[in-house]
Amino acid sequence: MVSKKKKKYSSGEGAQFMTRKAALKKLQLSLKDFRRICILKGIYPREPRNRKRAQKGAGGIKTLYHTKDIKFLLHEPIIWKLRELKVYQQKIRRARAMREYRNMKKFLRDYPDINIDHIVKERYPTFVDALRDLDDCLTLCFLFSTFPSLKKVPRDQSMLCRRLTVEFMHAVIAAKALRKVFVSVKGYYYQVELEGQTITWIVPHHFSFQPQNKDEVDFKIMSTFVEFYTMMLGFVNFKLYHSLNLVYPPKLTAAFSADDKELIDEHAYVAERIAAMNLSLARVEGSNEAEELPEIDIFNTEDEDPQKLEEAKLEAEKIKKLKTMFKGLKFFINREVPREPLVFIIRCFGGEVSWDKDHFVGATFDESDESIAYHIVDRPTMDKQYLSRYYVQPQWVFDSVNARTLLPINNYLMGAVLPPHLSPFVDKTKDQVYIPPEEKALNDPNFKPLDDDQSGSDIEEASDEDKEDEEEADSEEDGDAEAALAKQYQQEVEEDSDSDDDEEGVDPEKKKLAKEKKKAMAVTAGVPHKEHPYQKEIEDKQAFRLREKLVRKKHRNLYKSMKAGQEKRKKEIWLLRKKRRLHDEKAKEEKKVEKRQKRQQALEQASA
Amino acid sequence: MSVVKKKKRVSKKNKKAWGKYSDIRDVEEFLEDQRLEERLGKFDTKPDSELFVVDTAGDNEEVKVEADVKPLSRKLQKRAKLNEVPKCFEVLLPTSKVQDPNKKRNHVNPIGFKPSALSKLREKRQAQKGVFEKKLVEAKKNRKMALDKKRKAKQVRQNFGLDLWGKDLPASKGIPETLVDEFISEEAQLHNVLPTQRLRPKPPLAKSVVTRAAVETPHPGVSYNPSYQEHQDLLRQVGQHEEKMMKKEAHLHRVTTGMFRRVTQAEKENQWREEMSSGLPQPHNPAEDPDSDTDNEYKAVNPPVKNKKKDHKTRRKQKERLLEKERLKREKIDKQKITDLYKLRKLQSSIKTREQKQASERTKRAEKRAATEATALPTLSAHKTPAKEPDFVDPKQLSGDLRNIQANTNPLRERFESLQRRGALAASKIMMKKKKKLKSYFKAGHKVTEKDIEKYVTRNVGKK
Repeated sequence: MVSKKKKKYSSGEGAQFMTRKAALKKLQLSLKDFRRICILKGIYPREPRNRKRAQKGAGGIKTLYHTKDIKFLLHEPIIWKLRELKVYQQKIRRARAMREYRNMKKFLRDYPDINIDHIVKERYPTFVDALRDLDDCLTLCFLFSTFPSLKKVPRDQSMLCRRLTVEFMHAVIAAKALRKVFVSVKGYYYQVELEGQTITWIVPHHFSFQPQNKDEVDFKIMSTFVEFYTMMLGFVNFKLYHSLNLVYPPKLTAAFSADDKELIDEHAYVAERIAAMNLSLARVEGSNEAEELPEIDIFNTEDEDPQKLEEAKLEAEKIKKLKTMFKGLKFFINREVPREPLVFIIRCFGGEVSWDKDHFVGATFDESDESIAYHIVDRPTMDKQYLSRYYVQPQWVFDSVNARTLLPINNYLMGAVLPPHLSPFVDKTKDQVYIPPEEKALNDPNFKPLDDDQSGSDIEEASDEDKEDEEEADSEEDGDAEAALAKQYQQEVEEDSDSDDDEEGVDPEKKKLAKEKKKAMAVTAGVPHKEHPYQKEIEDKQAFRLREKLVRKKHRNLYKSMKAGQEKRKKEIWLLRKKRRLHDEKAKEEKKVEKRQKRQQALEQASA
Repeated sequence: MSVVKKKKRVSKKNKKAWGKYSDIRDVEEFLEDQRLEERLGKFDTKPDSELFVVDTAGDNEEVKVEADVKPLSRKLQKRAKLNEVPKCFEVLLPTSKVQDPNKKRNHVNPIGFKPSALSKLREKRQAQKGVFEKKLVEAKKNRKMALDKKRKAKQVRQNFGLDLWGKDLPASKGIPETLVDEFISEEAQLHNVLPTQRLRPKPPLAKSVVTRAAVETPHPGVSYNPSYQEHQDLLRQVGQHEEKMMKKEAHLHRVTTGMFRRVTQAEKENQWREEMSSGLPQPHNPAEDPDSDTDNEYKAVNPPVKNKKKDHKTRRKQKERLLEKERLKREKIDKQKITDLYKLRKLQSSIKTREQKQASERTKRAEKRAATEATALPTLSAHKTPAKEPDFVDPKQLSGDLRNIQANTNPLRERFESLQRRGALAASKIMMKKKKKLKSYFKAGHKVTEKDIEKYVTRNVGKK
C-alpha cells in the first residue's frame, strides 16, 4: 500500500507560522481585541527565515505569528472575558442608537474591568524580571502622565500614570537608588540601580502637551501598552515599598486620588506633583530606618583577580559616599529653575529642598532661612543675596551626581560660563582613548596637570576646597613631625650607647675580652628582605610571557589581535600626548618671549 | 423432563463430544448435596430443636381491621389526583435508580418566579396602599450598597494591594490543598491545577525584542550644554547620515527617472506622426530613391548557394590535420603530468593559501552578517519599519541654560518607532477615515416657491 501523500506546508516552516487573519479566525476575536490581547500577553509578530515557505507559498509580506504563540493565547481566560464584553458593547451601542441614554450611562458605569494581574505574574515570574523590563514602562508612563484626556485614551489612565510615577520616584528616593543623570535636549535621562538591575528612563522636559499629528502614532495601541505597564508598575511599586518598609499606598496630596474630579489647570497639577515629591513617606511601624549595606565579603574564587576585587570595593565605597552626598544640606530652588528634576535628585541623596512659597505649594522652609547651603539659580544676577549660602546654577547638581562628589562650585557660580554637561553613559570600558587634560580635570577633581600655571585665574576657589587643602597640608606636616621625632629618638639612642661605652673605659684587656665575648654572643642584625622593584618587574614580565604562551591555540589569534590593538591605541595616545606637550611648550615659550619683549618695550619706553 | 427423548446415536469420539452428550446430572446433584452438608453439617448429627419449629400461629389468615374511613368526596378525589404524576407523564420519569450526575441541567424556573402582569398589578396596588413601604426602603438601601461595593471593587484594582511576587505558596499557583505534600510529584500537582489558573510557560520571545535596549544610551552630543567635540561629532554623524540618504536618492533617480530619454513635445508629435503613418503609401519622392542611378539589373538579396564538393586531397589533409592536433594535445598532457609531479609542493602551498584566504573571508562575512543582524529592522508587515535617525541638535538652539531648551523630537513617536524597531509592533500606517461628503439635492416640485430655493442656495453661507 502506498502511504498517504504528505500535504505541502503541513510540517516545517509552513506549519510553524500563521498569518494574522488565520490567527483571528482561530481565536474567534476581532482585530481590535486580538491586538489588545497580544500586547497584554506580550505576543509579537515574528519574522520568518523563509517568507515564501512561511506564508504557504503566498506572495507579498503578511504579518506572521508563531503557531505556538497563538496556541498559547488560546488558553488565556481573558479571551472569554473579551467575548463576553462584546455582548456588553452591543448593549451600549443599542442603547445609544435607541437614545436610551440612561441605560447607556448605566452600562458604561458598570462596564466590567478585566483583571490582568495574572498576566503580569506570568510575563515576569520573578521581581527581578519585572525590574529588568522597566525601562520602556517608565518612559511611557512618564510620557503619558503629561497627557490630557485624549479621545482614544481612557480617562483615568493619565491620572493613574501620574500617581504611579510619583510613587516610583518616592521609592527611588527612599532606596537612594539614583546613579546617573543626563540632561539632554530630549529630556532627562535617569539611571537607577534597584536590586542589582540598572534601569534607565527618559522624562520629557515639561512643556505643555504638544498636539500630536493624527497619523504619526496609533494612540489606541500605545494606550494598551500603557494599560499593561501601569499594572506592572503598580505591583512593582507595591513590592518596592514593602521591601523598603514603607506603607503602600502612600498618602500623597489630594490631586492624585481618582475620585477628585475638580478641573485643575496644568500648572496646578505640576505644582501638586512636585509638592507630593517633597513629602516624606510613612514608614511601617517597628522598622528601623538605617539599613546600611554590609561591606563586600571577599570570597576566594579562582578566576577572580585581586585587581577586579579592589575595583569593585572602590566602586562600592563611591556609591556609599554618593548616597549621602547631600545629607544635611539645605537647598533653595529659585523660581525660574525647573523644579521637578532637582527636587527628585536632591531628595535622592538626602538633601532638603524648598522653593518660593508664594508661587508654589509645598514649600518646607523659607528663603530667608540662614541654614540654607545652596541656592539654585538660573539667571545671571540677583538683587538680594545672602552671604551664608552659595548661589549655584542647576548644572552643578547634575554634574555632582555624575562625578559622585560635591564638585568645586567655582565653575558653577551664578553668572559663570558653565563647563559642558558631559554624558555619564559613555562606555567607561573603552579607557584606551586620549583624554585631554581639561576633561581629566573635569572628571577627577584631584587631578592636577603637571605644569599648572592657572594662578592667574580670577575666580576665587571655594572655601570648602581650601579647607580640605589645608587639612591635607596639616596631615602632611604631621607626618613630617612624626618622622622628625623618630629620627631624634634614634639619635638619642645612639648617643646613649656611645656614652655607655665612654663610661666603661677602665680595663683595656678586660674590655677586649668582654668585647670578644660580646662579639661571639652578638647577633648580627638581620637584613630585611628588600624587594628590588626592577628585578620584580622583570620577573613579572617573564611570568606574564610564560602565561601568554599558555593561551590556547583557538584563542591565540584573537589574543594577538587584541594585543596589537592595545599597542596601537597606546601609541596613538602617546603621540597625541606628545603633540600636546610640544604644543604647550611652544605656547609657553612664545608667551615668555612675548612677555620679555613687552618688558623690554616697557623698559625702553621708560628709558626713553 | 417427562418427555422421552428420542435416543439418538451420537458419536462420543472426542473429549468435547463426550462432555456434551453424557448425562452428568446425578453426579452434580450428589456433589451439590455434599457441598451443602459441608456447609451446614450433617442432618443426622443435628438436634431436633434445630431442625423443627413448633407452629403456634395456626393456618388462619390474619383478620384485617378495617378503619371507618369515609370515601372521599369527588372534589377531594380530584384534588388528591392533582398531586399525582399523571399517567401519561410517567414515561418521562427516570426508571433508573442511578442519580442524575448533572442535577442542574435544564433548570426551569418554578411558577411564580417571574412576576406576571397580574402579580405586578397587585403589588403596585399594595405598594400604593403602603403595605411594602419598609420593604421598598430596604431594597433601595441594599441596591445602593451593592453599587457602592461594585464601585469600590473597581477602585481596589488600582490600589495594587497584592504582593504578586511574594507568595510562592502552592495555593497561589492554583494547586489544590489536598495535593500539597512533599511526597506528591510536581507534575502531579500541576496536572491538577485548573486550566484557568494554570500559568503556562510562554514561548520564548523573538531575539530582537529581548536583546535590543528599550532606552538607548544617548549620544553625548545631545546634552543641553554639550562639549564642543561631542557636538561636532554628533553633527558629523548627522551629516554622514544625510549624505548617505542623498546618495541613495540620487541613485534611485538615476536608476528610474534618469534612465529614460526625455523627448520634447515637438519630437513626440513627430514620432507619433511617423508611427501612425507607417505602412501607408508614401508619395513618390525621386530625390530619396537611391537606386535611381544604377542600371536596371536584377539582384537578389540572398543569392542561391552552390553545393561545391571537396576532393579527396582536401579531405585527407583535413583528416591529417585533425589527427596531428589530437596527438599534440595528448603529448602536452603527458608532459604536464610529469612536470606536475615535481610541482606538488607548490600546488600544496597554493591550495593552503587559498583555503586560508577563504576561511578568513568566511569569518569576515559571518561577522558582518552578525553585525547587520543585530541592528537590522524587522520586516513584520508590508509597511517598512522606520530606521533610527541620529538626533540633530541645531547649534542655534543651544542656549546653555535649562529655561530655554527647545525639543524638536516627538517623544511619543520615538517610543512608537522604538517598539517597531524592536519587533514588538508591526510597522503600520494609520489609515485616516475619510469624511463622507454628503451631496444634497433639492427635489423639484410644483409646490416649491422662490423662497424655498433661496433658502436652499444660501444654506451653507453662514457655515463657511
